[in-house]
Amino acid sequence: MPLNTVGRNVRKVDGVKLVTGAPAFTDDIQMPGMLIGKILPSPHAHARILRIDTHRAKALAGVHAVLTWQDVNRVPHTTAGQAWPEPSPYDTYLLDSKVRFVGDRVAAVAAESRAVAEQALRLIEVEYEVLPPVLDMEQAMQPGAPMIHDEPDSKNIYDARRNVAAHIMREIGNVDEAFCEADYIFEREYRTQRQQHCMLEPHVTICWLDSDGRLVIRSSTQVPYHCRRQVAMILGVPVSRVHVIKPRIGGGFGGKQEMLLEDICGALTLATRRPVKIEYTREEEFYMARSRHPQILRMKMGVKRDGTVLASHLKVLATTGAYGSHASTVQGNTGSKVLPLFRASHLRFECDVVYTNTPVAGAFRGYGCPQGFFAMESLADEIAEKLKMDPVEFHRKNVIRQGDVDRLSAQLGEGREGLPRVVRSCGFPVCLQKAAAAIDWEKKRRSPVGHGSPVMHGVGMACTMQGSGIAGIDWASAFLKMNEDGSFYLQVGASDVGAGADTVLAQIAAETLGVSLDKIVITSGDTDFTPFDTGAYASSTTIITGGAVKKAAEKVRAQVLSLAAKMLDAPVESLTCGYNEVFCKDEARKAVSMTDIGLQALYKERLQIMDAASHFNTDSPPPFSVTFAEVAVDRQTGKIRVVHLVTAVDPGVAINPMQVEGQVEGAVTQGLGFALTEDLTLDESGRPRNPNFRDYKIFSAKDMPKLTTILVQTEEPLGPYGAKSVSEVPINGVAPAIANAIYHAVGVRIRRLPIHAEDLLRALHERQPEHAEEEVLVVQ
Amino acid sequence: MKTMPLCITVNGAVRQWTIAPGDLLLDVLRREGFFGVKRGCEKGECGACTVLLNGKPVNSCLVFAAQADGCDVMTIEGLASGGEMHPLQEAFLEHGAVQCGFCSPGMILAAKALLDRQPHPTEEQVREALAGNYCRCTGYKKPVEAVLRVAEKSNGAPRRHKAGAICR
Amino acid sequence: MFDQVEAFYRPESVAEALRLLERGKGHAHLVAGGTDLVAGGGRSVRFLIDLTGAGLSYIRKRDGVCAIGATTTMAELEESTALRAIAGGLLSRAAATCGSVQIRNRATLGGNLAHGSSAADLVTPLLALDAFVVVAHGLGRRKTGLAEYLERAHVRIGAPSLLVEVGVPESLRGARCGWSFQKFGRTETDISLLNAAAGLQLDAGGRVKWARLALGAVGEFPFRLFRVEELMTGRELDHTLLAEAREQVMRDVKPITDQRASAEFRRELSRVLAGRAWEECADQARHAI
Repeated sequence: MPLNTVGRNVRKVDGVKLVTGAPAFTDDIQMPGMLIGKILPSPHAHARILRIDTHRAKALAGVHAVLTWQDVNRVPHTTAGQAWPEPSPYDTYLLDSKVRFVGDRVAAVAAESRAVAEQALRLIEVEYEVLPPVLDMEQAMQPGAPMIHDEPDSKNIYDARRNVAAHIMREIGNVDEAFCEADYIFEREYRTQRQQHCMLEPHVTICWLDSDGRLVIRSSTQVPYHCRRQVAMILGVPVSRVHVIKPRIGGGFGGKQEMLLEDICGALTLATRRPVKIEYTREEEFYMARSRHPQILRMKMGVKRDGTVLASHLKVLATTGAYGSHASTVQGNTGSKVLPLFRASHLRFECDVVYTNTPVAGAFRGYGCPQGFFAMESLADEIAEKLKMDPVEFHRKNVIRQGDVDRLSAQLGEGREGLPRVVRSCGFPVCLQKAAAAIDWEKKRRSPVGHGSPVMHGVGMACTMQGSGIAGIDWASAFLKMNEDGSFYLQVGASDVGAGADTVLAQIAAETLGVSLDKIVITSGDTDFTPFDTGAYASSTTIITGGAVKKAAEKVRAQVLSLAAKMLDAPVESLTCGYNEVFCKDEARKAVSMTDIGLQALYKERLQIMDAASHFNTDSPPPFSVTFAEVAVDRQTGKIRVVHLVTAVDPGVAINPMQVEGQVEGAVTQGLGFALTEDLTLDESGRPRNPNFRDYKIFSAKDMPKLTTILVQTEEPLGPYGAKSVSEVPINGVAPAIANAIYHAVGVRIRRLPIHAEDLLRALHERQPEHAEEEVLVVQ
Repeated sequence: MKTMPLCITVNGAVRQWTIAPGDLLLDVLRREGFFGVKRGCEKGECGACTVLLNGKPVNSCLVFAAQADGCDVMTIEGLASGGEMHPLQEAFLEHGAVQCGFCSPGMILAAKALLDRQPHPTEEQVREALAGNYCRCTGYKKPVEAVLRVAEKSNGAPRRHKAGAICR
Repeated sequence: MFDQVEAFYRPESVAEALRLLERGKGHAHLVAGGTDLVAGGGRSVRFLIDLTGAGLSYIRKRDGVCAIGATTTMAELEESTALRAIAGGLLSRAAATCGSVQIRNRATLGGNLAHGSSAADLVTPLLALDAFVVVAHGLGRRKTGLAEYLERAHVRIGAPSLLVEVGVPESLRGARCGWSFQKFGRTETDISLLNAAAGLQLDAGGRVKWARLALGAVGEFPFRLFRVEELMTGRELDHTLLAEAREQVMRDVKPITDQRASAEFRRELSRVLAGRAWEECADQARHAI
């Protein structure tokens, strides 16, 4: 039967309240007696708190609580929003007597107004023993480097003595042998920067005690259930006495896959017995929240003369900042989701993730892949050029295909042995063909625009992939019940972060039940009223929560059909659902409306039609994305303008194509910033230089290139109605496609992000022959 | 704490509020229940706090409330009328121009101000008008399309801003 | 956070504003558009003096000068037909590049000058146009050259004073004039990493009658490059002259390094942008009747 709701560009189910400004976000409430909480940030990158005196702050009129490490339990934990037991080190404390980055928590206050809270912070007297900081990740493991985590009670740190939060070493096949068989070996080093999410709504949390004395947490979070568990553990409160509510969220992108403010806000509520709100300013958001792990990547590939990739070896040094949130898993992804792009059977990934006294890194769209693909796809471009192959041909020859098995994933699950990935759907061939055509690749490669003028054009491309949910670990549940007007309440623990998850899940339910979309009322992300969900990350919501929704809807559909069969006096097998009614397949006039079924159930049968289902996958079907970029480089100023960005993506089946496009367009915009403008930098004391939009530049409407988005739908057996995911993968190819296009335009390769005009200009002026830089080509 | 009276027309209704002299318009509006005005950066960079002040888009985080005394303010809450959404609101929904929605109120107001002055803008003019509204979700493509679609469908002449009631 | 503000005033004249400033004794702050003051935060501000009601929003022609009131907004500068007619609309064009629509609807000319930022986009073209400023103080008004005003902007003088007007002489006009404003930023709405304002007039033989060049965001404040102007005056405007002029620019700038750009990059950009400004001027001059 043709699909009615799935595959349609329906409007977001929460759209009206968003465009009319109805109060829907965390801060859009007023609570009587609410206090404002604020955190005192450390001015030092590395220091011990020798003495902290809060009496003057406490004495200030309007101050209700001042907390320091002496006032709270010491419970080692991670802030990473991951399924328990979290693979990230338990190296963080609610408040500690040591500070490990500029911005680390020193104390927290709750006061009657923002002004009083800020005044109270100024009255807290702290005596620090300033310690030498480690700011450079290349220094962190050196002998003699200061030890950042010297506390005895932290757990699961790989080697605290050497500041190593995590260490990864995985190999499939035999890379060294394979390199011996290669005709050419290429090796380059790449560097990527600290990028911040810059979601428009900064982190905000409001806590209060309800009439039963339970701690209610209303927070802008992607992970309500992980928050609940972690806050309960940290504050020493039973999980059943914590209630987390996720309202509408103004963007997350991984920055809110974190228990960030909920613990300290909850602690202030417990201390004051009053509602407390902590809302980050934009400045605090930049350096006291999370950001992307900076990496130094050494990428080595061995190829045969005909362009076949035999082996890849990626060695990564990354820093997780002062705490190990997502340290092993982000970097694990840099290996596991990147290296298998090419069908080489010999892959080695090794990585050290070190602590530095810098802002804490965490989850960010792409989750290690943007860094890895920048390295791999930049190197692939160099290889193609040296072999005199068109990069598109090189990719066609080497990229993963339908039916392939990715064995590296088996070794790099979320902190434990994962499962091998089978590629059951793959749109790469069509993506490559359509995207190349859309940018007019052949013509622009042969004769780029701009010869003789200061502005030269060039085109470049990259292929990338991601995952859809974490195999064996991400899981979700859904509950569905029927009302007497033929509508259904759908309750899911999932966290719509703005991408439209609620809409997509409602579409899946509506499709399965045979009702129109307006008959589904969806509630999400409330730990009291919705069943468990690991949360909005790893591109999981459509495929995993969608899977649970489909299962639950199928169960409820069966109950509906059963009652309808009784009402119609017809065998169940002869009936089907559609258009808000149940009707006979052979005799459409023999039908009963969902409304009548609902009334019958609730008031005659004394039956609540309802059911629930849980779902997880043992595999993580990769979505695929191909990016083609055309750039115009001003050779006199180094300015890079992206003229056209084409993304062809295989998201499986697009439950809502318009929304899928929106995800692509948003992701590539962050990719543009990653490639060209965004970088949170620190001074020599570890203080952030540009924690504001004036000096941390993100793209505005005026900066955008022409965007072309091509959906290449495939049918994924593991996804509801064939869906995979799309929320992360489009970000991955932007930086390498642009870097490759710049090379095509002006013959210079930049291997460090972001690509500043100044650096490009310098490279143009200093232009050296390629192989003067590093030893690259080894002909065997 | 010192206070002073403020008389301001918000969405067509005259309001008499008590404010502190240093209060910013963003804070006062949110405090008085206009939650559609968003706090994004407090430095006039992101545009999430955009309101129309005497018909012109401004960052309410940079305006002292006292400076708006006697003025006419429109927030997103004032855009729909008589239960019907403004064509821009409809278009944003129809074209998938809303994702998380946090930037949407400000962006829609900036677009309205543009169309009031310039009923048939070019794409470049639309992008210029929206350049002060950061969006991290959409990449701006669908919002720009939505505005152009509304312009296409309208046969309007530029609308002059009507001054609100004088408060004294 | 302006939680220490005790009173907000909206004087209706310059004299009243000055009196209020005097009474405020250092704790009073002027505000017009608020785009610099508010973004900068203000715990020390006890009195706010809103200038936008003091009669300083105007653009008038008077005795061969276009007089612009200090609280005229960037949007008003952008849209003014009077200003668009001066120097090919140089000042309007520069105003149009500042920030966003929201910023331009509030930010004022006076604020842009008084804030003293090196990247102030209006200062550079005003320097190229030989603009002067009028400062009011207790005993009257004083006219000063813009460059002098900038140098002394950070110097605290005894009595309160107030920038009230900027005057743009209309003398630089005639046949074969050309004007250009160039700006370089990391993104389209960025503060200038470098900006340049240039103007010239050619005589019938294609020789430079006069030339103006000002650069901003390069050094401590925007400035005129008089040596470059002298170099160009009387010479034929050809590639050789432009090359020489660009070299002189490189010698005359004293660029700073900050987090946006290094001095070296700014020096190179100065050369390139000045050259492009001259080319645009030349193009206009040759096509203008």
